[in-house]
Parts: sequence; structure tokens; C-alpha cells
Amino acid sequence: MYLLEHDAKQLLARHHIPAPQGCLLTDPANVTTLPPGPWVVKAQITAGGRGKAGLIKKADSATDVSARASDIIGKQAKGRTVNAVRIEQQVYGASEAYIAMMLDPVAAGVRIIMAAQGGMDIEALPRDALRTTSAAPDVAALTAAAEKLAASFSGVAGQALAEAGCAMAAAFLAEEALLIEINPLFVNTDGSWVAGDAKFVTDDSALPRQAEQRVLLKDVCGAYVETALKDAHGCDYVVVDPEGEIALLTTGAGLSMMLIDEMRGAGLKPYNFLDIRTGGLRGETRRLVNVLHWMHQGPKVKVLLINIFAGITELGEFSRLLVSALNDVPEFKVPVVARLVGNGMETARGVLKDAGINLHTDLDAALAEVRTHLQSAQRGGAK
Amino acid sequence: MISPRIDRNTKVILQGISGRAGRLHSRLMKEYGTNLVGGVAPSKDVKDINGIPLFPDCASAAKATGASVSVALVGAYDLLDAMREAVAAGIKMIITPTEGMPVHDALKAKRLTQDAGVLWIGGSTPGMAVAEVAKLGFLPDVSLKSGPLGLMSKSGTLSYESGYRLALRGVGTSVWVGVGGDPVKGARYSDLVPFYAADAQTKGLLIIGEIGGHDEEDFADALKAHAFNKPVFALIAGRTAPEGVAMGHAGALTYGSHGGYAAKRAALEAAGVKVFDTLNAMVEGVAAKLL
Repeated sequence: MYLLEHDAKQLLARHHIPAPQGCLLTDPANVTTLPPGPWVVKAQITAGGRGKAGLIKKADSATDVSARASDIIGKQAKGRTVNAVRIEQQVYGASEAYIAMMLDPVAAGVRIIMAAQGGMDIEALPRDALRTTSAAPDVAALTAAAEKLAASFSGVAGQALAEAGCAMAAAFLAEEALLIEINPLFVNTDGSWVAGDAKFVTDDSALPRQAEQRVLLKDVCGAYVETALKDAHGCDYVVVDPEGEIALLTTGAGLSMMLIDEMRGAGLKPYNFLDIRTGGLRGETRRLVNVLHWMHQGPKVKVLLINIFAGITELGEFSRLLVSALNDVPEFKVPVVARLVGNGMETARGVLKDAGINLHTDLDAALAEVRTHLQSAQRGGAK
Repeated sequence: MISPRIDRNTKVILQGISGRAGRLHSRLMKEYGTNLVGGVAPSKDVKDINGIPLFPDCASAAKATGASVSVALVGAYDLLDAMREAVAAGIKMIITPTEGMPVHDALKAKRLTQDAGVLWIGGSTPGMAVAEVAKLGFLPDVSLKSGPLGLMSKSGTLSYESGYRLALRGVGTSVWVGVGGDPVKGARYSDLVPFYAADAQTKGLLIIGEIGGHDEEDFADALKAHAFNKPVFALIAGRTAPEGVAMGHAGALTYGSHGGYAAKRAALEAAGVKVFDTLNAMVEGVAAKLL
């Protein structure tokens, strides 16, 4: 789970990594308690490049804060809507450093990266400014490696990187992080330091044993809808295009992603990504019914495409569940196109035929039927 | 050199055989030809499942059967312990299909297996197979046809669909390894490059990748480092996926330029790999080279 900057900073603060004073704001009309100003108003979305996208603005007065927040909240960026801003005290006169820890999937450890310069993309930093090392994933080894790497920098930057590195080592392991990046790390002339920005990616698979991260799923900003949904329903569902026309009932992450890529490549507009996990249905329609309700919320959805490759799942049984689920969500009135391959295909063909659904085995033929439905929906809309 | 190649004589045990998945897949694997010689399950009353004798723990199973391979079908939070048990019992290859192993557990599991010289395939792997010989894990029989193509995949379903369409087109596979979709995994594509280079049955190699991590980039480097001289093909899912959301697989997460599609494609193409945009193009491209 890619955390909002605000949540990342709250979590880091628990591990003795401070940030400039700040608060979260979802309603620009409701600016109450602010930290001492002047401020910087920062959009809270789980994607980088906010500065370049005009989603970080400075403000000198409370009115100004409210105005900047109004500008930013509601904006669309990288396919997401900004639902909140973090109002943070501006930092003056500090130098900027860089520190990050991330998984090292080759050495099965944690990679540490430090630089005495920061504030821009890591890719934009000069190569020789970055220093890196890898350590075993235990507190003693990671702390020692961070201290050693920091010692290669002189002055207050080296001192700050050492302190931040020790705190980050503890945070990375305790929170079971995949990535923590502080960029910039503001370093004052007296050696004190704060996290200017923070990128924090946690492990969804560790959520059941990370109680404090789990609390974030109930957040007010809708930032973690996908993780919350998986946590509650056991399947992966992502709206990839709110304006999409084709709802996808699919299983398997790779095949579902590929189908979306291929459809977009062919000029079609899929609405969602879904890994329903047919193996986890266990003879019940509940998950299918939920998914159909979610798809019904797509304002431009005109057709439902089902694409299932069943290695193990019995397609006859799946088809019966599907038809029953479709009957349970009568308000979702769109044509259904099914492409199924695998175990029990002939039984499935009969079950779907009785429900008025053609079974395709060829994906291109199924997509041709999808196009026909889109065209007739367009003609219907023009009437 | 590490080798995932198995045959009809390779002795295999299944940890967690009495669970729902264990019962189903022990039967399917056995029917396919896998030499399943034992299962690990706590029950004292039952002596066998699907005709496979049961043992109370890994050590006694390995000792009694001489098994060198284990498939662990236990819960995500029990995997690390199951792997410790298997390594202690002298198992040399461990397959872990379970999804959702915590990543920091995977870091420990990788260190454990690396230090012991054990080949780990997983987590979140659909398994591996030598087509028409034996399989470990979930790979569907309809996708398995014996032939010249080495195949490695992060995704289960996309590889099933690919294998199925390739088989219909007449292209079979040699050794198929589902490396799995987790960010920290056992064998990565690059680790198996020397094996595929040396494997006589393999005349070409297909990787089915996806966004997230650096596995595809490291694979491209390994091809160059080993002067791999068989044709290599790739299909990479997630070209149009949004940033910052894990697309079904824990590893399929991009943030900033990290793990993005463009860098993977560029690295693969620079190493001479033919990268395809669609399944159909991949099937035709592979068939044109290997048939």
C-alpha cells in the first residue's frame, strides 16, 4: 500500500522521524487549527510528480491556505482525484539531503541509499552523489550499515543521515516496509533534521499483523480503496478508467492486466481491473454479486465482458453461479459477453445459453461481439 | 548450476496435503505423473490421502521416502516455518504456490534457502512442470504440451492462456517455471538463464512478465552476461496500469519510474529480446521462430 504523505509522516513520527508541523484538510471551507505559518499546501495522492503537476502551493495567510486548498482539492491527477491536502509549516534555511531504504530482491536484504543533495527526483540526482549499500534484514545489521554509509558524508549532513538512518532502519523492519524514502531530508545548520517529503510503501500481505496500518484502511480520503476492498472481499478490483464503457469480470492478475492493455491498444475503453479468484468462490454468489454492484456504478458502462481461463475451476459450476448472480442484480442491465476456456466448457455453454448468453472460446470473437453492443448502445443513445 | 528439471523418478512430498488445496492438487499432480511419495499432515487416524502415505513432519517424510522436492500448500503465515522444516529435512527444491506470504518473511526465506543451497520457486507461484512428464503445483494439463520452448512467468493465468494458445498452434514447452508475482521471490528469471542456456530440449525462451520490480531488467542483463544464443521472447502485462496500485500481484506495483513498463521493454529489446504487444502476436512470433 502506497501511503499518502500525511499518513507516511504520522507513521514515521512514531519511529522518531519528525516532519514539519502539519495537518490534514479535506474541506477548504473548514480551516480551523493551523500550525504556525507560512505554509505549504500539498495534494495528498498516491503518486509522485505532484510539484510538476501544480499540486503543491505556498500560502502566507489562513485565507490563502483555504484558497490554495480549494484550487487543489477535487483536481484529477494520474487517474486519481485529490480528496485532501496536507497543510505544513514551510522550512527555511535548511540544506536538503536524501535517504531511502528499499527491498533488495537480489541479495534478500535491504538497500540503503543516501545523498548529501536532495529535493529532486532520484533519477535527476548526479550519479556520484548517491551512495548505496545493502544489509541483512535485521535491526543490528541494518543500523550498522546505515551508520557506516552515513559516516562517508562530512559535517551536519553526515550526522543527520546517521540519525535518520538508525530511526529508519527500525521503522523499515517494524512496519515491514517495501520502501521508505525521505526526499528532501531538511538538515539545519545546528544538525537538527526533519522529513520534508516521505514516500512509504507497506506490504498488503502483512496487514493482518500490522494493526496500526490496518486502521488507515478506514481513512476519510479514499486513498486505499483497493486495499480495503481486498481486505474485506478477498478479490482485487481497481477502477482503471471512471469513463470506461466495458466492465470486466476476469480472473488472474496477469491475464486481466494483459486484457486491459490489449483492449486499450485496440481503441476500446475498459472500466475496471478485476482478479475475482474463481478458486475462492466456494459455491457462493456473494463475491460475484458484490462485483456486479460495483460495476453498475460505472456511469458509462455499456457492456459486461467475462473472460475466464479455467485451469482448475469447473466452468459449469461457475456459469450457474454467474447466472444466479446476474439475476440478483437486475438493475445492472447491460449485454453480457462471455469468453470461457477450460474445464467443463460444454456444461457452461448450455447453462449460459438458457440465460441468453453466447459462449465464445475465441477472445477476438468475444471482442467483436462487445463492439457490436457498443455500437447499438450508441445508436440507442442517439434516439 | 541450479536446475529445476524434474522427471518421473523425482521424489516429491507435499506439505499441507490434508487441506482443501492439498487434497485436490495431490490428486491432480499424481494423475499427471508426478512421483508423489509422501504427504505431511498432523492427522494420526488417516494413513494416506489419494493413496499417498502420510507423515507427521517433514523430517520423517524425507527420511522414509528419500524425497528431494517439496511442494508446500500451507497458509501464507505458516510458509516460513514450513520452509525451515523442509530445509532442515534436507529437501533440495521447494515450491510454494500460496499467495500472500509477507514480504519480510520472504526475505528470511530467501536467505535461508540461499545459504542452504536449496532452489526455492515462489511465493505466489502457479508451480512448474516438465510437460507430459511431471508437474508441481497448479499448471492446467490443457496448457501443457511437450516441446522446445522454455517458459518463465510471474503470472499464473496469463501463462495458462499463453501455454494453451501456443499448444493449439503446435508449440510445446520444455521446462515451465512460474517464478511468481511476489516482489521478493526465490528463483528469478535471471537465476535460471544458465539452466535454459544449457538445457538441450530448450530451443527458445519466453518470459511472461509484468510491471513492478526489476526482474525483467536483470533478466536482460543476465542474457548479455551469459551470451545466451537462443531466441528470446517476452510478453509484459500492465502497460496501461495506474501508478501506485498493486494490480492483483503484490509485486505488480509501480511508483514513479520504479518498475514501469517502458524501462522493462527498453532493457529487453536492448538485449535482443522480441517483445510483443498482444497474445496473438506472441503466439505467431514464437511459432514462426520455433516451428
